[in-house]
Amino acid sequence: MKRSIKIKPGFLLALLFPFVIGAVVMLALGYEPLDAYRELLKGAFVGNFNLGTTLEKFCPIFLTALAYCVTSKVRYFNMGVEGCFYLGALCSAGAGFLIQGLPWYVHIPVCFLCGVLAGALWAAIPGALRAYWNVNELCSALLLNYVAIHFANYMIAGPWSAKGASSQTVPIQESAALLRIMKPSRANVGLFMAVFLYAAVFWMFRRTKIGYRLRSTGSNPYFTDYIGVDTKRMVLLAAVLSGAIGGFAGAIQSLGVYGTIIDGFSNNTAFDGMLASLIASNSFAQLPAYSFLIAALKTGALGMERFTGVPKALIDTLIPMLILLLSMEGLFEPRSGRGRARKKLDGKRKEALR
Amino acid sequence: MLPYIKLEHISKSFGEVKAIEDCSIHVGKGEIFSLIGENGAGKSTMMKLLYGIHQPDGGTIELDGKRLEGLTPQKAIASGIGMVHQEFMLVKEFTVLENIILGFEPKKSLGRIDFAAAREKVRRYIEDYDLDVQPDKLVQNISVGEAQRVEIIKTLYRGADVLILDEPTAVLTPGETGKLFDILRSMRDDGKTIIFISHKLHEVLEISDRIAVMRRGRHMATLDRAQATASKLVELMVGREVKLDGRPPACEAGPVVLEVENLEVLGQRWLSTIKKVSFLVRAGEILGIAGVDGNGQSELIDAISGLRPILAGAVRIAGEEVAGKKPGQIRRAGLVHIPEDRNTRGLNKEFSIQENLAAIHLEAVSRWGLLDRRKLAENGQTLIKKYDIRPDDGRIKAGTLSGGNAQKIVVAREIEGGGKLLIAAQPTRGVDVGAIESIRGYLNRAKQEGMAVLLVSADLDEIVALSDRIIVLHEGRISGELPGGDVDMERLGLLMTGGKASETEH
Amino acid sequence: MKLSDVLSYTLIHATLRSTTPILLATIAAVISKQASVINMGIEGIMLFGAYTGYVAGYFSCSWVVGVLAGMAVGVLLGMLVGCAHLRFRAHILVVGFGVNMLALGMTRFMLQQVFGVSGALVLPDPVSIPSIHITALESNPVLSSLLNDYCILEPLSVLVVVGLWLVLYKTAAGLRLRSVGLNETSAMTAGINIERNRFVAITLSGLFAGLAGAYLSMGYSNMFVENMTSGRGYMALAAMNFGGGNPLFAMGGAMIFGLMDSVGARLQSFGFPSQFVLMLPYLTTVLVLTIAMVSARRKEKAMILKQYRDDGRAVEAP
Repeated sequence: MKRSIKIKPGFLLALLFPFVIGAVVMLALGYEPLDAYRELLKGAFVGNFNLGTTLEKFCPIFLTALAYCVTSKVRYFNMGVEGCFYLGALCSAGAGFLIQGLPWYVHIPVCFLCGVLAGALWAAIPGALRAYWNVNELCSALLLNYVAIHFANYMIAGPWSAKGASSQTVPIQESAALLRIMKPSRANVGLFMAVFLYAAVFWMFRRTKIGYRLRSTGSNPYFTDYIGVDTKRMVLLAAVLSGAIGGFAGAIQSLGVYGTIIDGFSNNTAFDGMLASLIASNSFAQLPAYSFLIAALKTGALGMERFTGVPKALIDTLIPMLILLLSMEGLFEPRSGRGRARKKLDGKRKEALR
Repeated sequence: MLPYIKLEHISKSFGEVKAIEDCSIHVGKGEIFSLIGENGAGKSTMMKLLYGIHQPDGGTIELDGKRLEGLTPQKAIASGIGMVHQEFMLVKEFTVLENIILGFEPKKSLGRIDFAAAREKVRRYIEDYDLDVQPDKLVQNISVGEAQRVEIIKTLYRGADVLILDEPTAVLTPGETGKLFDILRSMRDDGKTIIFISHKLHEVLEISDRIAVMRRGRHMATLDRAQATASKLVELMVGREVKLDGRPPACEAGPVVLEVENLEVLGQRWLSTIKKVSFLVRAGEILGIAGVDGNGQSELIDAISGLRPILAGAVRIAGEEVAGKKPGQIRRAGLVHIPEDRNTRGLNKEFSIQENLAAIHLEAVSRWGLLDRRKLAENGQTLIKKYDIRPDDGRIKAGTLSGGNAQKIVVAREIEGGGKLLIAAQPTRGVDVGAIESIRGYLNRAKQEGMAVLLVSADLDEIVALSDRIIVLHEGRISGELPGGDVDMERLGLLMTGGKASETEH
Repeated sequence: MKLSDVLSYTLIHATLRSTTPILLATIAAVISKQASVINMGIEGIMLFGAYTGYVAGYFSCSWVVGVLAGMAVGVLLGMLVGCAHLRFRAHILVVGFGVNMLALGMTRFMLQQVFGVSGALVLPDPVSIPSIHITALESNPVLSSLLNDYCILEPLSVLVVVGLWLVLYKTAAGLRLRSVGLNETSAMTAGINIERNRFVAITLSGLFAGLAGAYLSMGYSNMFVENMTSGRGYMALAAMNFGGGNPLFAMGGAMIFGLMDSVGARLQSFGFPSQFVLMLPYLTTVLVLTIAMVSARRKEKAMILKQYRDDGRAVEAP
């Protein structure tokens, strides 16, 4: 059974519509939209620096999307990836400057391990609360993000502070730094690790016993309990796995991109990732494309702002608009088709969380 | 008699499945009209079309000479049609009164509900038809019989002249059924039209004025009560003589495999709470559990298989204590289990046939934690062949299969799962006749191969045809035990009502 | 500063003040929850309401216009969420978070374009929602602190909660809305229009979220700051969860969070690291939610057991 890829005209319209709005806004404010969009494209793709920056931004969005996607497979909505991302970055940065005198091939894995563990443990809290005490993970994980962020900010400003002008931690040792690619951008070998991790997780879900059990837990928990799999443990496992991936993403930021951790470095990266996963309908196969789209837009916006003066905040407005439009099925389809799409989706909707 | 309700040339499909084909049914005013047929014959679908839950693909619906088009439940209610669904449409967090008035509330100023007026109106119905209902109780605290009476009041309150009841007796004890029939008769005498859906012949023969038979989405015949006999109805329903016994000679019963001792399990309601139940099942025998639905059968099976917590008591499988253990551990102790609901528990509809077939012995199709795709396919093909599952492509999603084939997946997986104890709960519910025969054959074979089988079924014929011993569950207790073979049906019926039927009748 | 200064009677006033934005948002969460829609977009709608209210109030020189503008934006966004979710079947989480991200981006953009600032906007001479000052109480410091100088939305929000409870549990509209949330098929067979009820609920939810935002910028703080809601919308969802959808219990939850907010603000002057003080309300929210769920489960178990014994006795004793 081969699936052919069909692109519906409605999909393209949803993709274009926000940019039309953006153009109208730019015209109203006295900017030249065509110039702006040209700079947007250039800023995202042309030249080592620009393309590198897009890849640098792609990496955490992609991984956090993967982290969210993993839990959504067991119908657990992990809003807490942002917290894991922060703690992962913090702990790996800590290990990066506190541990000294190790060769790079030991130091880097140790740093990653710290970041991954921090993320996994942090995600285990709301995971266990939901699995064993039925505490709604939407609320608990979301609110724990703030706790994680404030804690990270405390460490950045306090014990681990570099004591410089800007609020950041002591820079990591040379031996912990990831190799940069595509200089002068900050893209690094973390990108390959991310792709490898993605492939591994994808493969695990499809081809292993654990993957079977996780998929089964999400698609029919009653069945899964009945065949003798502990679904609570599966939910917790998925949450921990998701946190670990979030922590891994954070570690790439601190070891590869910044070499330190800066106050507020994430700026909702994990939420971008989550949205990428949501508009990809939580399908592993579609994650890279949507993550890349968001990363390219964010990077291009910088170039656009620099060369045409159109504020980057405009793109920050257009991205969620794009996401909203993409999430609405059949919005740009002819009326008759809409009814059919609706009927088909009735069943799906009932499954949506209640 | 001039037809009051006319359903003409109705057809309806769900996806590829043709549920109703060119079916015409006429119902007269002020009669009790029964609609019978096997599971899946299209009885409920037909009535859901009349109530506007589904829209017909073709055909017309007339009420009292007026054509009804684009029916919705709202319009049906406005035209005086009421329906008591198989699953009750009650909000369990609301009181009985709130449920009755929902959508049709009498109001005071500012949109406030006039509870006094509502209560008065409901009290009138309660008295008129002698309905035993307490308006201020929460629905989650009332019995099934009472919930059904609430549903009936609901339709009356909404001004129904036509009352459709979908399998109303499936959840009732014989005593409650008698009560319901009294209510229905007095409503008919008041001039209401009643459409009664059932597949139980004796009930239909007792209550109906006229009987329509459906088979495979078609209307076979409509008979007056006077013309109808049980054998005639069976012939119309099934289309041929069915032999469903063929019970092999009893095997030599082996050692005890399942031992249940003083088991106590909380149920949805008191009726289904298991109260100190003890019994044994030996290798090479089928123990049938008979009883009216909702008397604790589901709770009992769930407790044995670890899917429901146990309050007290012991459960031993092959000598191993499994009470309080997790489902996985109990399976490892030797349990295999055909669950009563294949759609939620028995199958994962998102998974392929072969993935479903391998669900309980993943170890056999994997190596070092990796699923071996070749072994998975091989295992699938073997079972598909052996159990004649159609279609025979193991990669097809289980959700697309018909009821009979879907059930065969469950049966195949569990019987071949290498257990010592097989629980078979409603193994042939909602399955076509051909599949019923083969599934019963598989159960018999499992028994001959030395498995201990615990059979739970709402279908008495099935229990009688297969069991070597029968225990009867009534209100969560064992009310008696009978030997298999030539079963004294009268005594069985008596035990199902708790052995006190003669006392409650008058 | 001593501990008694933190836990003095003046805390009551402070608690009510910091409860109000969460409480108004909780009302929004409760309304949509009753139609079984988890409106994650409350956070973003609040932020929009805060911006619009503050700016509209400033330009019109009238706090009434500001509040109305905040509510109007809330209604519009509520309708957008409702339309996307119900009409176009978008996942409610996507819509909710989409709106939240949109609010962050759009308010930042507007701040830069209209006022040329980023971060915080403090307008000279802004309008604010008036407070009630009763001169007669001035002589008594305790009574004055307890009862005086409330912004009018503060007592009003409590009244709205009570009103909402009455509507939900005593009127036909409330009964119908709850039936939609509790059992969709029952409601449908009773001829209730499920989609319309949901849409109205989401719209009203937007209205109160917008109001919550307007209060935040015009009553609580007199300025607009980027991302000034800082998770209050999510806390409101937690409060709603805590109360199981019942507005009165949910108000209890909102008050606990308000209390932690104001206690935290005072602890800061004790020399606690500000980050730990800032995380206090979030941490308590999760803790309280957990305790509520655990105890609810315990209670439920105990009740079922009691029911079992009672029923047993009632049936056994002829």
